[in-house]
Amino acid sequence: MSAKRKTAVGVIFGGRSVEHDVSVVTGHQVMRAFDPERYEVVPVYINRDGRWYTGEPLLELKNFKDEITSYKGVMSAVISPSVEHHGLIINPTSGRFERSRIKRLDVVFPAVHGSHGEDGTLQGLFELADIPYVGCGVLASAVANDKIMTKIVLSQQGLPIVEGVSFSRAEWQEAPDKVIGHITHELPQYPLFIKPATLGSSIGIGRANDETMLRAYIEVAANLDRLILVENAVTGCVEINCAVMGSGLDVRASVLEQPVSWEEFLTYEEKYLRGGEGMKSAERLIPAPLEPDLAEQIRQMAIRAFRAVDGRGTARIDFLVRPEERTIYVNELNTMPGSLAFYLWQEDGLSPQQVVDKLVEFAREAHAEKRRSTYNYQTNLLEVAAQRGLKGVKGAKGRAIRPV
Amino acid sequence: MIWLAGAMIRIYRQARFYQIEEYKSGRYLRWLLARRGRWLPARPAGAWFVGLLLALFISDAPGSFVPSAVGVISGMIAVWPPDEGEVKKGFKATARAKRLLSAAFAWAALAAVGVLVVIPHLPDVSDLRLAALLTAGFALWLFAPLWLVFGNLLMTPVEAAFRRQFVCRAARALDEVQPTVIGITGSYGKTSTKTYLAHILNGRWKAYPTPKSYNTLMGICLAINNDLAGDYGVDYFVAEMGAYIPGEIESICRLTRPAISIVIEVGPQHLERFGTLENVAKAKYEIIRALPPDGVGVFNWDNPYVREMYERGYPGTRLAISKTVNPADVPPGGPRFVASDIDETLDGLRFTVTDVQTGEREPFVTPLLGEHNVTNLLLATAVAVHEGMPLRDVARRARSLQPAESRLVRQTTPGGITIINDAYSANPVGAAYALRVLSLHQAGRRLLITPGMVELGPLMDSENRKLGEIAAAHATDVILVGAGQVEPIKAGLLAADFPPERLQVVETLAEAVNWYQNTLKAGDTVLFLNDLPDTYSS
Repeated sequence: MSAKRKTAVGVIFGGRSVEHDVSVVTGHQVMRAFDPERYEVVPVYINRDGRWYTGEPLLELKNFKDEITSYKGVMSAVISPSVEHHGLIINPTSGRFERSRIKRLDVVFPAVHGSHGEDGTLQGLFELADIPYVGCGVLASAVANDKIMTKIVLSQQGLPIVEGVSFSRAEWQEAPDKVIGHITHELPQYPLFIKPATLGSSIGIGRANDETMLRAYIEVAANLDRLILVENAVTGCVEINCAVMGSGLDVRASVLEQPVSWEEFLTYEEKYLRGGEGMKSAERLIPAPLEPDLAEQIRQMAIRAFRAVDGRGTARIDFLVRPEERTIYVNELNTMPGSLAFYLWQEDGLSPQQVVDKLVEFAREAHAEKRRSTYNYQTNLLEVAAQRGLKGVKGAKGRAIRPV
Repeated sequence: MIWLAGAMIRIYRQARFYQIEEYKSGRYLRWLLARRGRWLPARPAGAWFVGLLLALFISDAPGSFVPSAVGVISGMIAVWPPDEGEVKKGFKATARAKRLLSAAFAWAALAAVGVLVVIPHLPDVSDLRLAALLTAGFALWLFAPLWLVFGNLLMTPVEAAFRRQFVCRAARALDEVQPTVIGITGSYGKTSTKTYLAHILNGRWKAYPTPKSYNTLMGICLAINNDLAGDYGVDYFVAEMGAYIPGEIESICRLTRPAISIVIEVGPQHLERFGTLENVAKAKYEIIRALPPDGVGVFNWDNPYVREMYERGYPGTRLAISKTVNPADVPPGGPRFVASDIDETLDGLRFTVTDVQTGEREPFVTPLLGEHNVTNLLLATAVAVHEGMPLRDVARRARSLQPAESRLVRQTTPGGITIINDAYSANPVGAAYALRVLSLHQAGRRLLITPGMVELGPLMDSENRKLGEIAAAHATDVILVGAGQVEPIKAGLLAADFPPERLQVVETLAEAVNWYQNTLKAGDTVLFLNDLPDTYSS
């Protein structure tokens, strides 16, 4: 890493997930946020099938209305888990005309939402490759991506959550009546929300007012996910979102937003497609019209929830709030929120450029923190094994093996 | 044929020394001619002489087998290779060495063929022919070093081409990986500083230090081509740069283009090659001159020559360190990182580092021995802090430091004798600190085993004498290895009233080792100070 060289940041977007398109938009917002004087942005696109590409044409959002991979200059590429590559292998299966080459990435920015991106899988690859990466680590991503696990972890930390029950697709298919019986026993009051455990962007979520609808929505959810969550619908509440940013002990919360169309339910169209460009122009109230002390309470809770899952980098925490009763529920954590919640930070005086700068800084700090732990612990095990054979080693465990 | 075989064996044996003298014909020949035993050993010469006499004075019937027998036997006696004794650094069959050997063998074979062509044309007197054959064979054998030199000459353009290619490859590899290059030079402490710096930086980034003591242009190219090439994960390439001739560091810097350069010490090491300390300083300054204007120079304030470099004002960003200045009254423009309260025990070094610029203070606890390591560690600290590592993190990394190979490495034998291996440092400063470490071991006898220091040029005698005087204060027993060069130390020891009965001079290291193994017991300590290359043994 030369002092004079620009920081090469690989921005990954797309992905094998129902949120592929949203991620392409977020990815381009992120790429545009980086200061070209200090960063060299390397676009990395994962298509719906899970194939990886890089190349200049990926930098233009308008190219994505065509078949992007047919553009000249779009090349196959992978992030290598082997530490010496520290980035992309371009043309990994080199043929007669294309030589494979390495592109070192100083930092990776996974702007991927949902499955195979926001759920810890991609993060695991970066851990293996030993490259600093923006956002939450493997565990935080995996926990926050799973609505059931999130509930378990948050309630363990004493944070208020909406009551719910969970079951697997197999349980449902095996004995639906038993599952329904269990649900009605635990959650006797309709309406209920039915959610696939790991999908984001409201996909597959249904609101049931009676048992027929409950069964129907469970069927829908069971087609989308292996685990299903049914929870009480909190009536008379508003949705409040709060973004947090930071790492370790230094975490800050943004202003609160209130999406305004919380009448029946937030549909996919409302959440992402209205207005055209990402979430920026979706209708929302910023800051949310809440009493200042209630708002502050929510912000503190956002920070606690972020810490509860061992979050770092950024996340958007969604709450359900009854302002008059002052009841608050932590609803879910998005570790890679759409548009990186740029619109919230803007209210706090942070430009998108400053946000990505900070996120890169947190990524580097997290990586430095990892380097503080030792992974290379030398023992004389192999020496002993070579001398005595495998049997000798087994018997000697704990005695003959010592650090050298 | 026998002579030729003998010559080949001799060439092969000599190639090792050629290698030690870095393939420099002049240095090799000077070494060779310095002692008659090397270039004209007694046994072969005697065998030749007796054979010659026999050939000339035994008249015989034609067709007798006696002349041939004389030739064969004297030849055999002459060329039978002598026992080599202990070999510390064996011949390494590198590609270059193989090329050199082939060329030398070719010269020898050519000369042999020449002899065989000429001899039949001599007057047909069997005595004369035999004598000529004997003489020619002997010459063939005697000139074995010359064949090496000729071989080297023949190979010079070839080697130059190979080197250029090798350097180009390294330059390309560096260009690909683009690490931040940190250059380290100094008369001593290079390898230690490099090892510590890499260890500290690895607490936050990934640093690749040149292995062992590789510090020549070719050594650095080797490190780049073998290990660094293709490792895109490396953030810092820490390169140790040695100066054996003026311009060498410059050429290394032209290849590596350091962004950060460290100058540790200017001292009398390798003085014989430079003449004066000013010339040494000039050669070291090349590492600073090679920096870009926005580069970073890191200097040891405690060395007057290095401080002078610091005060010259290039580049704009300069960091100095000191372990002698009081952190409370650092002069303006003085060192930024200062060590104080230095305490050395058998457990290692403890000291406090003050960042004068920020006022931060941090206690350092390291398992390293030898006070000179405070300087080395401060230099490494300056770089790490400049690159953005908090001083506290540096201190944390310093706890887990290990000494560099053969530099004040302490071990205990199964018999309970403590061995301090300081076989690599052979400079007056390091030697004095090593002796202080020896005297920390108060439990039993303290034996110093050393051949003394070399390559100190005109200061060699006085510095060795000084070493003897210091040793008298710290060691209870002394074994000097190699009668050839230990006189000044001996004089120094005796001048400081060291009891003569506690002092021995032996010829080989093996004898010294033998003695302590048979004499010392648990609780005693042995310090191995410096280990001379084979070119110094008689």
